[in-house]
Amino acid sequence: MAWLETLVNGALLGGLYGLLGIGLALVFGVMRVVNIAHGEFMVLAAYFAVMLVSLFPHVHPLFVLLPVVLAAFAVGYLYQAAIVNRVVRAPDPLAPLLLTFGVSIVLRNLMVEVFGADVRALPLGELSRASINLFGLRIGVMPLLTLVASVLLFLLLQWGLKRTRFGRVVRATADRRDIVRLFGIKPDRVYNIVMGLSLALGAIGGVLLAVRSSFTPFSGVERLLIAFEVVVLGGLGSFWGALLGGIVLGMAQLAGLKWDPNAGLLYGHLLFFVMLLIRPAGLAANRA
Amino acid sequence: MSKGTLILYCAIAGALAIAPLVLGEGGLRFATECLLILSMAQMWNLLAGYAGLVSFGHQVFIGLGAYSLFLISDTFGISPYWVLPAAPLAGALVSAVIALPLFRLREAYFSIAMWVFAEIVAALVMKTSWLGGTAGLPLKSSQLLDVDWLEPVMFWIAAVLAMGSIGGLYLLMRSSFGLGLMSVRDNDLAAMSVGVDVQKNRFIVFVLSAAGCGLAGAVSFLGNLYISPLAAFDVNWVVYMMFIVMIGGIGTLEGPVIGTIIFFGLRELMTSQLGLSGGWYLVALGTIGVAVMLLSPRGLWPPLRDRFGLQLLAVGRKAPSPLAPTALTEKAGSLG
Repeated sequence: MAWLETLVNGALLGGLYGLLGIGLALVFGVMRVVNIAHGEFMVLAAYFAVMLVSLFPHVHPLFVLLPVVLAAFAVGYLYQAAIVNRVVRAPDPLAPLLLTFGVSIVLRNLMVEVFGADVRALPLGELSRASINLFGLRIGVMPLLTLVASVLLFLLLQWGLKRTRFGRVVRATADRRDIVRLFGIKPDRVYNIVMGLSLALGAIGGVLLAVRSSFTPFSGVERLLIAFEVVVLGGLGSFWGALLGGIVLGMAQLAGLKWDPNAGLLYGHLLFFVMLLIRPAGLAANRA
Repeated sequence: MSKGTLILYCAIAGALAIAPLVLGEGGLRFATECLLILSMAQMWNLLAGYAGLVSFGHQVFIGLGAYSLFLISDTFGISPYWVLPAAPLAGALVSAVIALPLFRLREAYFSIAMWVFAEIVAALVMKTSWLGGTAGLPLKSSQLLDVDWLEPVMFWIAAVLAMGSIGGLYLLMRSSFGLGLMSVRDNDLAAMSVGVDVQKNRFIVFVLSAAGCGLAGAVSFLGNLYISPLAAFDVNWVVYMMFIVMIGGIGTLEGPVIGTIIFFGLRELMTSQLGLSGGWYLVALGTIGVAVMLLSPRGLWPPLRDRFGLQLLAVGRKAPSPLAPTALTEKAGSLG
């Protein structure tokens, strides 16, 4: 029973991991750029949330999510407009990789200098301890809410990309950035919005993860690696694959931690590597 | 290599040979560090600049090389100097094995998977008690070393490594293998069509760069006489290598030399002269790296070279000259 509880909790955590991955996957899918600084932006959002909570102690911590997400969108828009757009068109595919890596180093060390290297957390009071009893399993309310929120966001994003005009524009830009210009669309502006959305999703993930466990300026690395593993496990470019990948990764991590309490992310990483060997196309891929 | 460059190369080698007699202890340590970081940067440059593989996990080879040196030397009580060849072997062996799964991935996916691999190895080492766990290991066999000679010998090894990596890479790039490599980098489809084995080339370069990093890592920690997993598998190793290559000029042999000078110049300026912390130094270094990437994507060396017409270690070749156009028109005239 204890193991079942671990697996269920792992699946709940996995919903959150899926959310980390989807932001990374969105940017990669649209502009073929892996934003190495994604993890650092998540941690930055968490610091912003902690700051807001201490500034407005009477507001419920979950309400700070709104300003944090809006700020993350703005930061993403500017980041893309000022920096990433300059290398997206570079013939060398390494340029965006090196550039975003450089940005991640700058952000990480700025956070160390500004916020200090201490461990921080986002306390939620009652809610973070509350749990419900489901068929004899103790399930935390907050992890459950997190999973529900992740699934809703996945649905919303998928609907937005499939059914709205903006979604069509994004997909068209992803396919042929040179052709969409003929229809009066500026690809750079589409990219700005996509990066904004990506960091907004990352901010939700970053804040919710900060509620679950403490963080430091160095947490960006593990957040990025989780996001990346989720995307590869799920199969590149597959939305629901990312959620599935997140759930598998979450289960592996919590099961590993139960067996070996100071393992950290080791078992998640190992699972990723084994999967890379036996199913390089990802979990969700049914074609060879 | 032009005659001038050859003379310059030999002059630098000679200067390095007698440097321990001139430099004080602190200066020698600093110079050793510069030369080791330069060697590592050249190895990373070999992989990224000539084979198009960006690794964010090369710290794993530095750590593996250093740990293999400590372990073998302590276990068998052999002088660490004699164990040094084991370090590049460890790097080469591990890289050859992990190339198998990693080479299925391209570009950013390779880069980050490499990083994940480095994290796995670091976590496993930290959990292994006979490797010292998180606390690390002292070099017990250090009693076999002559303490007075340690600093100069370390410096000479580092100098051989740095000069060897530059000279060796130059010769490699001038060989037919190097030509194949650069053709893959410039146009892989065209290279494959003339029979260049892309995967094999990438594999060889990957193993070479892992071996070089293993050796440089071993020398680096031999100088400390102490190793800890957090230092050995620190992601900052790759950060240093990458910024040096990025700022100096990726895919050139001169670039990393310029990058190393800027790297250490900035560090001395910020941490020693201005008394700022290492964090601010990395912020400044990263900002310079990003700025160079945006303003001069090929790094600082290529524009300098073109501006002043410098030719130091150029490995490019001139295409064989085709028939002169006048001869062609004459031929056409006689035919028509």
